[in-house]
Amino acid sequence: MPVRKRSRLPREWWVGYLLIAPFFLLFAAFTAYPMIYALELSFSDWHGAGVLHWIGWSNYTYLLTNADFWASLGNSAVMWLLIVPVQTIGAIAVASALTRSRLRFKKTLRVVVILPYVTPLAAMAQAFILIFDNNFGVVNTVLGWLSGPSVGWLTTTTWAKPTIALFVLWKTSGFALIIMLSAVQGIPTDVYEASAIDGAGAIRTFLSVTVPLVRRTIGFFIVVSTLGISQMFLEPYVLTRGGPYNSSTTSGLYLYNHISASDLGTGAANSFLLVVLVFLLSLFAVRVLRSKED
Amino acid sequence: MTATADISLDGPGGLRRPATARSRIRSLLGYGAMLLIAVLFLYPLFWMITSSFKPGATILNNPLSFNPFHATLHNWRDMFAHVPIVRALFNTAVVVVFKGAVLLVFAPLAGYGFAKFAFPFKGFLFGFVLLTLMLPTLVLIIPLLLEMSQLGWINTFQALILPGAIDAFSVFWMRQTISQIPDELLDAARIDGAGPLRAFRSVVVPILRPALAALAVLSLFNIYNDLVWPIVAINDQQHQTLAVLLAGLSSNVSGSQAGASSADLWGQLMAACTFATIPTVLLFVLLQRHFIRGLLAGSSR
Repeated sequence: MPVRKRSRLPREWWVGYLLIAPFFLLFAAFTAYPMIYALELSFSDWHGAGVLHWIGWSNYTYLLTNADFWASLGNSAVMWLLIVPVQTIGAIAVASALTRSRLRFKKTLRVVVILPYVTPLAAMAQAFILIFDNNFGVVNTVLGWLSGPSVGWLTTTTWAKPTIALFVLWKTSGFALIIMLSAVQGIPTDVYEASAIDGAGAIRTFLSVTVPLVRRTIGFFIVVSTLGISQMFLEPYVLTRGGPYNSSTTSGLYLYNHISASDLGTGAANSFLLVVLVFLLSLFAVRVLRSKED
Repeated sequence: MTATADISLDGPGGLRRPATARSRIRSLLGYGAMLLIAVLFLYPLFWMITSSFKPGATILNNPLSFNPFHATLHNWRDMFAHVPIVRALFNTAVVVVFKGAVLLVFAPLAGYGFAKFAFPFKGFLFGFVLLTLMLPTLVLIIPLLLEMSQLGWINTFQALILPGAIDAFSVFWMRQTISQIPDELLDAARIDGAGPLRAFRSVVVPILRPALAALAVLSLFNIYNDLVWPIVAINDQQHQTLAVLLAGLSSNVSGSQAGASSADLWGQLMAACTFATIPTVLLFVLLQRHFIRGLLAGSSR
């Protein structure tokens, strides 16, 4: 990757500025300036009107001593546990099964699985609300045939999080599969031949050949999903509005709730706490991956 | 980072063996698993589409049944009568076209500038761009909202189009792709008397075409389905996009009592959702190759 390569073209310096100018104007106006503004807001008491009051670290200490803030982080952590391991393991397993078998319709399956990823979240979430409805839903109807219990999928504190996680899994697993497919297909055939000669079975080969060889991709995928889940707010917003009793209020939705309540200073502080958290998590992930590679 | 070509699934295959009873059972199991996965992933879509053609009472009382002979356009007619969905689709189209145009013109130009020209503070500026890649979008929502209200842009198309029109990632991606173009090609164009823009048009753009197609397709879906920013910036009917409209519709329905009238509302809602999903599914089927290439390019940095 020629990242550090210097251009040898003896051009006038202002041409470069001219080329990046449109991007930087938009970038400065709608990314850099708001970012600095947000930092200032996070140290202020402001509800959308009047003068900014500088209140120092109060917003931060308020959040850090607030049970709801920690509960929202806890909800996000549970979401992570419900989504990331299932999706990662499932995607590698399916990807390697698809790559190593000689079944037909493999391309069709790839298209089918990626389809939910391109559908509008707002639309599909509505369908899920109905499919998982307590009284009228497909899922409870089928459970009824099997004389199973009627479950309050989106309306009980026990099931709201798993049901939202199920929606996320349905919506995004195609993306995971594509990434894993590209990694698994990069493994040279002779590695598998060697493993077959050594008498390794399918499961043994999967665990000691496939998984270690796609470790970097797994790491990348876990970092990306962690970033996504730390910011997740649309899924619980559309499916449950964070309820019941805030049981599905993720950290992203908690932050959004500050915005809609015009509690803007606290919201800004909340977002910077998330930035710090995400940064630390990524740093930790990079560390873990590095140490494994050595 | 390479824009990997379309994945062929014929990678390292299993060792060739004659078809034995055992291998037949295995492939049967394989097809069974594939079928199960396909059904799980397609069923919600299938259910949504078919429900939009069912009478409201059937959706609620008999959610699993679908009899194509009893299909009705009732929900669709009511939906078009009561929900300003065509207007919302038009708004979404405007946003997709303009946002996409800004991105597809200025991101490659910025990438070209960063990849092939030397200027003061280049490293610093590019580093700053990379830094914002780590920033959660939600951090920007509050100050952007304030900025919009100061500019008087709440409920305007500018508010939907300009923020986030060029993202740091696209510039990064274009820069990486353009750096792989040999300088000699650009030098040759220069010797022929082409200025920087001419060289861009006649040398860079043709080579960049696959990456641009992937970028276009990927951002098409992202902009079409985007909900986070529009939901904050838009609260009137004039400018709401499809996604905002749909997110609001559900609260109308779930707010009312489950009964006869709400059954009809659910039917309309499913019609609206299906309406919003048709364009993306059609586009996806048409642009599938480019889309998957775009996903891969986006992932393997």
